[in-house]
Amino acid sequence: MYKLIGAVVLVAAGGAAGMLVARDYARRPVEIRSIITALQMLETEIIYSATPLGEAMDRVASATDGIVSGLFREASHSLLVGEGATAGEAWEKALVNFYRSSSLTVTDSAILKNLGRALGRSGREDQEKHLKLACEQLKRELSRAEEAAAKNTRMWNYLGFCGALAAVIILY
Amino acid sequence: MTAEPSGRVYQNRPEIGFIADINPVLPFNIRKIVPAVDSGMLGRLEEIRLRALRPLALGLDTGDVFINESGQVVEDPQKAYLVTREDVERCLGLVSGSSIYALEEEIKNGFITIPGGHRVGITGKTVLESGRVKTVKYFSGINIRISREVIGSARPLLPRIIDREGGTIRHTMIFSPPRCGKTTVLRDAIRMISDGLPELGLPGQAVGLVDERSEIAGCYCGIPQRNVGLRTDVLDGCPKAEGMTMLLRSMGPSVIATDEIGGQDDVRALEEVLNAGVKVIFTVHGSSLEELAARPALNYLFRLGAVECFVQLGRDKRAGVVKGIFDAKNILKAGAIRCIN
Repeated sequence: MYKLIGAVVLVAAGGAAGMLVARDYARRPVEIRSIITALQMLETEIIYSATPLGEAMDRVASATDGIVSGLFREASHSLLVGEGATAGEAWEKALVNFYRSSSLTVTDSAILKNLGRALGRSGREDQEKHLKLACEQLKRELSRAEEAAAKNTRMWNYLGFCGALAAVIILY
Repeated sequence: MTAEPSGRVYQNRPEIGFIADINPVLPFNIRKIVPAVDSGMLGRLEEIRLRALRPLALGLDTGDVFINESGQVVEDPQKAYLVTREDVERCLGLVSGSSIYALEEEIKNGFITIPGGHRVGITGKTVLESGRVKTVKYFSGINIRISREVIGSARPLLPRIIDREGGTIRHTMIFSPPRCGKTTVLRDAIRMISDGLPELGLPGQAVGLVDERSEIAGCYCGIPQRNVGLRTDVLDGCPKAEGMTMLLRSMGPSVIATDEIGGQDDVRALEEVLNAGVKVIFTVHGSSLEELAARPALNYLFRLGAVECFVQLGRDKRAGVVKGIFDAKNILKAGAIRCIN
């Protein structure tokens, strides 16, 4: 009886662990896509409306959802409350919290971090170039993330269960 | 040039309320230093100068002083707080709300106006395009010029510029070198003209104010932060020449006021206003009428003979001292023959 319960627990745990890894693979392209959309909205606010960055980020936060909205909301809050933080600092602080709860990789985060260093520090033309560059880099990461998701999501979903089943068989 | 007997130094109140406007744009290190400065000195503060890798300087009415980390005046510049490049960049970031792109025009002009109407001048490496300034990069110097509202500063000149018979004012030019209080006096004159001065026979006038540099009304999001009177319509951030024509067509003003007239376009627009039966009051940079007459655009204005009253400001212990008021009768005595020939 105990063996049976142990086996069920092992299979469930293995399956759940596999599903968690698979979920990360599946979430990453969704999040990158959402960030690209948000950056395009930010670009519109900056280039066509010349909206001040704090306000522009707040508008982007309102137009997006999920954790990407949180990233822009937090950065916008730091800028608007007049804590004395520069745009780069506000962005980096928000990015640290966002990165923890996201499925992004270090490479994705580095692209966003680099963008933060340039945000709001130059004229419209230059801002457009920085935002476009970040979007291009993220699009490249997106295609890699989609490939990885196609390869690994199903594999990890099965691997968790199958690995756990194999362990149960060996232990029996 | 005769001194105006009624001209006197206006009494500036030791206001330090501007700290609330200025502090949010100061970088952390300097944010602690400025409020620690002696309050008497803060009351006389006119400028805060941040120059990268050089000492922190405060511009007082009596001249510049260097300040150390505790906010004390030091004689030896070596002992003063050394402004870092990061201080300058951070200050600019705070002034612009980390949005340099939203202030491209202002940066091209070399200054940004912050809430409260204080002007922040900037220097750095200019980037040119077809020989004209496109933008500024590598910012190296920031000058925060404190804008003060001095109620009553225009009182000495009002009796001379009011046309009692017509119940309005005369076409007036206020001139002085920089830092002599032209804008402060103009702002107060606008307030009085707009509110009216019954004791001098002046009913309140609808005043149209073209505030190209947001210095007179100190508008923030279009709302004047300074008292410019009950009947004043402000066109904020608008080029003077265009603004005067727009106000003339749209707002039906009795008086149009603007700051720092100088270019051909400004004078042409002014001529249009003068010919439309609307009174004007404006300021010009220059230390004497002769100097003004040497500038082609202003010389043309003198030749028109339309300006009825010339007010010269100067600096004694404080800015805003009326040094002379000239009109058609005494302008010749003042030796300004070149102006009208």
